[in-house]
Amino acid sequence: MSAPARPTTPAATAPAGGSSAVPGSRRSRGRAPLRAVPALAVLVVLALVPYFVGPDETDILSRVLIFGLFAVSLDLLVGITGLPSLGHAAYFGVGAYTAGLVAEHWTPNAPVPVLVAAGAGAVAAVLTGWLVVRSDGVFFLMLTLAIGEITSQLALQLDDVTGGSDGLFGIPTFRIGGEPLRLEGYRYWYVLAVFVITFAAVWLISRSPFGLALRGIRDNEDRMRSLGYSPFRYKYVAYVLAGAFAGIAGGLFAQFNRIVNPSDAGFALSAITLLALVLGGAGSLWGPVIGMAVVVVVRDYYGPDLGGHGPLVLGIVFVIAVYVLPRGFAGLAGLGALRGRRRGAVSAHATDPDDPGSGAVPGTSSEERPA
Amino acid sequence: MALPDLSRRQLLGAVGVGVGGLALTACGGGSLGDDDGGDGGGGGGGGGGGTIRVGLVIPQAGVYTPLGVDMQNGWDLWLEQNDGKMGDFTVETVTADEGEGPDTGVPAIQQLLGDVDVVVGIVNSATALGVAEQFAEEEKLLLITNAGAVAITGANRNDFVWRVSFTNAQNSAAMGEYLATQDIGSVFIMAPDYAAGQENVTAFTAAFEGAGGTVAGSALSPFGTTQDFQPFLQRAQSSGAAAVFCFYSGGEAVAFVNQYADFGLKDTIPLYGSGFLTEGSVLNGQGQNAVGIQTTLQYSTEIDNEANQAFVEAYQGAYDVLPTVFAMSTFDAANVLNKALAEAGDTSGTALGEALGGLGTIDDSPRGPWEFEDQNPKQTIYLREVVDEGGTLINSVVEELGEYGTV
Repeated sequence: MSAPARPTTPAATAPAGGSSAVPGSRRSRGRAPLRAVPALAVLVVLALVPYFVGPDETDILSRVLIFGLFAVSLDLLVGITGLPSLGHAAYFGVGAYTAGLVAEHWTPNAPVPVLVAAGAGAVAAVLTGWLVVRSDGVFFLMLTLAIGEITSQLALQLDDVTGGSDGLFGIPTFRIGGEPLRLEGYRYWYVLAVFVITFAAVWLISRSPFGLALRGIRDNEDRMRSLGYSPFRYKYVAYVLAGAFAGIAGGLFAQFNRIVNPSDAGFALSAITLLALVLGGAGSLWGPVIGMAVVVVVRDYYGPDLGGHGPLVLGIVFVIAVYVLPRGFAGLAGLGALRGRRRGAVSAHATDPDDPGSGAVPGTSSEERPA
Repeated sequence: MALPDLSRRQLLGAVGVGVGGLALTACGGGSLGDDDGGDGGGGGGGGGGGTIRVGLVIPQAGVYTPLGVDMQNGWDLWLEQNDGKMGDFTVETVTADEGEGPDTGVPAIQQLLGDVDVVVGIVNSATALGVAEQFAEEEKLLLITNAGAVAITGANRNDFVWRVSFTNAQNSAAMGEYLATQDIGSVFIMAPDYAAGQENVTAFTAAFEGAGGTVAGSALSPFGTTQDFQPFLQRAQSSGAAAVFCFYSGGEAVAFVNQYADFGLKDTIPLYGSGFLTEGSVLNGQGQNAVGIQTTLQYSTEIDNEANQAFVEAYQGAYDVLPTVFAMSTFDAANVLNKALAEAGDTSGTALGEALGGLGTIDDSPRGPWEFEDQNPKQTIYLREVVDEGGTLINSVVEELGEYGTV
């Protein structure tokens, strides 16, 4: 739904071995104006939404953007840096509680709560990331899982501050210049503005030399180390940035939803967001937003009317998506890129991780389908 | 070389996905976001003799699903008995699933709110607290038929949120005062460690100690994750308490009561609880282990009054099971909403709130006469005991413990 930018170069799209760390952007730089067209078109459509879409649907779109932003922050860790966190919701929760408390006790005026939430998310990630980023594999999974659970337990226990299991409720909605944004359309525009700025920031980071180094670490940490990079330092900074961006999403959520609960920092949110990453295609940044859109629309828009079958439908959608789109929505767009490259006689083996496996390329899809 | 092809595909793909996504979200209706959202409370006033759209928010997925079924049954039964009309209004019910917690409940209600005149239901207290303020902003009525957090009609009260069920404090306070007069010795208190558990513990302790009782100790078990209560039961046993008071419900109530018996405490240390310990479907899971447990609640199928006999009979006739307090509350919510609509002749939250405040004693409820006090029921609390009546476990009424309002 929102694709301010789409990767085109092999270096950008494909986790293609060590070569991805090599900036192959000479060709793409010339094509930048053309590449911006779909992104701008999507942006214009998104900006016009409140004129055409009813209040309920506008609210759902706001939710899509908020949780989509959270998915983008997780993608920075999972897709770009290769750190599969199971507890990323902790930083979303920290941001949400912080923004909620700021809005209740200090000022609900935009953008103060969101900025403070970003800071809180970053601080939380600084404190925890120091330990987490040093670990690998199963240990990384367990540590991040523990951090998520500890955070939601803390939210449950510190009921003087957080409201415990009743949640932090009565959070005032967004205000701009003291004027509360009561209309769904205005709230949406504010959320969209924060989304676009933050998404652009993450996108720029992922395309910067720093971002390319992260991809390199993801693909071959030892090689990056031998080239003189410090993987720890890069991963740590990425972890803190992801924490800050998750805090921003949490901060938006607090004033949009008007209540924050311990479950907003818990495993369920982390898990459903990883699901969105798989659905959308990790590493593309825009794919996870679409993945999250599917999750939110099924769960929050159609879910309440399905007579209790919402979770089941979501599960079915997920299973179908994994079968039909093993590389997620981003893989769909990668189809064209792959064909192009094949015609260009580029070695298929070097670039294949990009393959969507949807049967479009006979004879290769089965071996490339991830188990 | 192949780049032009690539780029066109990408462009088409991105636009296609964007449009597709938008179409997906827009297909539910298409009025202008700004205009529609702007009329706020104005949309609430349907004309007399028209229809009233009621959102019934109940759990249809997750651990509270059995409560949702009971609530739906209670609502449907009342409408069936009254030809689907409240006051001069024809009722259109829109059912929405609140799920287990506020992460699903709050968006469901936010979405429903623009579409209905009144919302009835809500099991989860956090969900209710999360949406309460938005009802005030939209000036629409919310009638809560379960969620018991004191704060909903306490410190954070607003004129548009009314409750026909109970507060967490009521049942426990009644039990505390009762046990203090029974000279049973010191009491050990157990509850799950979350807001409702804590509110029950606080209310019981205050009432029990206030009336001269001695608390031997207390243990809060982690909420929702405790399957093994032995460590907690051990503490109860070693505290030397003469009795145990607890607040558990749902799956935890089944596990707790069974383990209490397995641990051998059932015959040595009598178990008392808030009524949800032995209410509804949990009794099937507890079986004979539940017999003899005394609890306090605002309702029992065994209350001896005309309205209750008619209600129990009709409910059993329609659904082939005994009604529960959850079914009764929602049945009663329909009854109260009917009275308010007849009085107000208007579906706006302001008019209905005023009408509810002027209802006085409601004397045709299955739970016996009750009235609103601070938008919350002031009602008789019954002391009940589980008995086996020819293979069916029921909560027989031992005694009326008097009326409890804001505790």
